[in-house]
Amino acid sequence: MTRTRKLVFMALLTAVELTIWVIEGQFPAPIPVPGVKLGLASVVTLTAMAVLGRREAGAILLARVLLGALFAGSFSAVIFSLAGGALSWCVMSALVGLFPEKLLWVVSVFGAIGHNLGQLLAAVAVTGTPGLFWYGPALLTAAILTGAFTGLGSMYLVRALRAYEHRRS
Amino acid sequence: MKRKTLFWIVLFALLAAGGAAAACLHGGGTVAVITVDGREWDRVDLSAVAVGYETTVETDLGWNTIRVEPGSIAVIDADCPGHDCVEQGAITDGAIPIVCLPHRLVIQIEGP
Repeated sequence: MTRTRKLVFMALLTAVELTIWVIEGQFPAPIPVPGVKLGLASVVTLTAMAVLGRREAGAILLARVLLGALFAGSFSAVIFSLAGGALSWCVMSALVGLFPEKLLWVVSVFGAIGHNLGQLLAAVAVTGTPGLFWYGPALLTAAILTGAFTGLGSMYLVRALRAYEHRRS
Repeated sequence: MKRKTLFWIVLFALLAAGGAAAACLHGGGTVAVITVDGREWDRVDLSAVAVGYETTVETDLGWNTIRVEPGSIAVIDADCPGHDCVEQGAITDGAIPIVCLPHRLVIQIEGP
């Protein structure tokens, strides 16, 4: 992939991730539980990590968080996005090389657990209420379910992208 | 189905079930504890509430109007930007807390 092609592709992925994130935020959560949502935007982050690399995925994620702040318009939302995103990126970066692409969804589950842990830590820090850690097990369950779902999404998207590249070349 | 795939599916299923079970176990209790910025603001035994009432928690950060009913508690109005705490509705057990991040307000239900 040439530099220009890569840059365009990254910009496209950023736009896709931001759009998904904003649209998902407009829907009321199916289960009104604080901090729990499907997190469809993470499909793009993990796909970028598998297809382009860790640094590229991190850049796209950071761009989405900062641009998302303009749309969300609240400071605490940015802190949360950042805490969850950073930890999830670290976890997925460490694991993505260890699993075959068939098990990409496993990386996604660990990433989702990292994401929810990051948000829980941020929530405890912001509210100064360590009692919130009681909420950890419920967030773990939510992370496993949502992470597996978005991970399967990434896996099929990566497959489709590889098939497309293959046909093109 | 490869053995490795099966291994991860079983592991995650067990973890998810364990998390749900732990959340349910902690779900008992009837005492709602309202915490603002890490300090306990109020403590209400919901099983002892006979008639519902409203109370407003106001700090420098903003206000939240809390509706207390026999057996349940909810934030019904607030001047925070997101309104997540209001949309969540009433809680009746300790499985899930109400959190208003901008106002650093937490409502949890604990054992007596």
